[in-house]
Amino acid sequence: MECLDAALYKSPELNKTIKAKMADGFRDIVIHNSNSMHNMCVGLTGQGNITIEDSTGLYTASFLEGPRIVVEGNVGWYAGDDMMSGELIIKKNTGCNVGAYINGGAIVIYGSTGSRVGYGMKGGTIIVCGNAGRWAAQMSMGGNLIILGDLGRQAGESMYKGAVFTRDTDAINKIGGNVYLDEITPEERIMLTELFDRYEISADPSEFKVIRPATSGRHNYVLFKPVLIPEAAKKLALRGESHE
Amino acid sequence: MSDETKLKEPTDSTKGLWHKDTLAEIDYKASAGKHRIRGCATPRKMPNFDDLMILPGQLTRMTIDTYREDCETRTVLGKRFATKPLVIETPVMIGGMSYGALSKEAKIALAKATSIVGTVISNGEGGILPEELENSYRQSIQVLPSRMGFTKRNLEVADMLEFVCGIGAKPGLSGHLMGSKISAEVAEMRQLPIGIDLHSHPRSGDFFGADDMVIKMEQMRELTNWEVPIFVKLAAGRVREDIKIAVKLGVDGIILDGCQGGTGAAPVMAADHLGIPTMPALVQAVRTLEEMGVKDEVSLIVSGGIRDGADLAKALAIGADAVAIGTAALIAMGCRVCMRCHTGNCSFGIGTQNSEQRKNLDIDEAAERVANYIQAMTAEAVLLAKAAGKSKLKNMEREDLRALTLEIAAMTGIPLVGSDLVIGEGFGFTANNKI
Repeated sequence: MECLDAALYKSPELNKTIKAKMADGFRDIVIHNSNSMHNMCVGLTGQGNITIEDSTGLYTASFLEGPRIVVEGNVGWYAGDDMMSGELIIKKNTGCNVGAYINGGAIVIYGSTGSRVGYGMKGGTIIVCGNAGRWAAQMSMGGNLIILGDLGRQAGESMYKGAVFTRDTDAINKIGGNVYLDEITPEERIMLTELFDRYEISADPSEFKVIRPATSGRHNYVLFKPVLIPEAAKKLALRGESHE
Repeated sequence: MSDETKLKEPTDSTKGLWHKDTLAEIDYKASAGKHRIRGCATPRKMPNFDDLMILPGQLTRMTIDTYREDCETRTVLGKRFATKPLVIETPVMIGGMSYGALSKEAKIALAKATSIVGTVISNGEGGILPEELENSYRQSIQVLPSRMGFTKRNLEVADMLEFVCGIGAKPGLSGHLMGSKISAEVAEMRQLPIGIDLHSHPRSGDFFGADDMVIKMEQMRELTNWEVPIFVKLAAGRVREDIKIAVKLGVDGIILDGCQGGTGAAPVMAADHLGIPTMPALVQAVRTLEEMGVKDEVSLIVSGGIRDGADLAKALAIGADAVAIGTAALIAMGCRVCMRCHTGNCSFGIGTQNSEQRKNLDIDEAAERVANYIQAMTAEAVLLAKAAGKSKLKNMEREDLRALTLEIAAMTGIPLVGSDLVIGEGFGFTANNKI
């Protein structure tokens, strides 16, 4: 095992040092004093286990391809963006937009996450053990997002492809436009069971439902347009509430 | 009064504001209850490079022989921080037009044209066709808010990167690709359902403002080992403020897309009423870069309605380092600007995914025509530059320009033709006649 003190580096030098250590054959690297540094472990490739003992800033493990990164603390926005493969394991909570555009690999958040987790995701798996903010998997194009806690509003808004698994009993009132709530298939139940076993998550797959895109064919897709309700305006005017 | 002598009422056939296009617009909305989508660019008349004239060299400057002497056109872009700036043979690049908006054949033809003349092509939204990459001389890769078809592999093949914040034809909006063009092949590349009307992602999901983008830029530099020039593409709007932010992000260059730019599909409202025209936007961008003292560091590419060598020469004179063409290249291939690209019904095989119509485009012939056009356009610009006494195209300068009208003089700060009157905000001119 190799230990690195992040306080001695700026992120590009730190990442370069990690790459050099991995090239030298070190499979287990521990990083101290990350102090919420941005861009940690960006673009790492190959095989290895990197443990960050503290919290990290923005863009942690972006464009990751291969290694397993474990962050013991909290993680900032945009972690794992454009990830290709490998694992990003986050022991605590994250900011928003984690897993934006991921193509593959797995992100596991043992705490809660902010808005837009899995924004535009195209593949891979994201598991959120806590709650997720608004617009989870917004406009996703593939992959699986699994949320064990409460869903934020407009979950799955305008998904093109992919699936959002939820056991939020109020999910039907929280889903966004152009998606619907469905029962999970036996294959999906097996997938969830395997994932929960692998990441030691205590959850019963049978409790889950799935949000799926409504885009099975052309024009089954509703876009915003102003809602004009004359009766509502009349009521406000009568009550003298013409101003917002 | 007999019938023969009865006076006829005038028809007032022009009907003022209520001409036939306005009536057709209203009829459409009355019937469909939604706004109209249109292909190509705005048909509105706006200020453009024709409003400027180039001053020829006479006694103050010696002209260069048009037909016998050299004039360099080679152009280097993105040398601010990138260790491998882009070197192209002509300051004319092919702007981002997606596979999806265009047929595969059209994309391959454009790529082949770049190899004939030695320039760069931008892939546009929705990933890059292997055939485009294989045939292009230099490849610019767009990093768009949708990231459709984009992976880390794209970074590895890029000769230039463009972070797209907006496009001139529909600034503030995003890619529109109507269902008739989302064929099985296009859908697979973009990971979309076949036949869906695509209204793409409007904002990037991995930066929400300038502060984030500074960190994002560091990330991209690290991923590209500081080798690949990174540009940001901006639709022309609040040019001064946007340029200042872009410079502070640490980009190598800026692509500024004016509102005369074309597109495969855009709401008519957006194309006609959002953004500002290319020429005055360019002036504002150059002014801003000069105020910041980075004009020589930051490359500036301008696009939106560029048609010929005069536009090119004048853009360079104002301060651009290169131009990007789109619609003009499609016209060179055979497009007749029917403005119905959004329907996917293009008998020229350019803006379609219909397998029968695609057969109508001969790739090699189209590539040759686009290459000829770029060659001729470059030659036209060289002709003007030499007449102005320049042995390098990039030596065109704003002092070589005069404005044809008071409005253009006020808009650009370039002296009025004939009087040398300078109006309004300066542009480096010290004229005797200043208002």
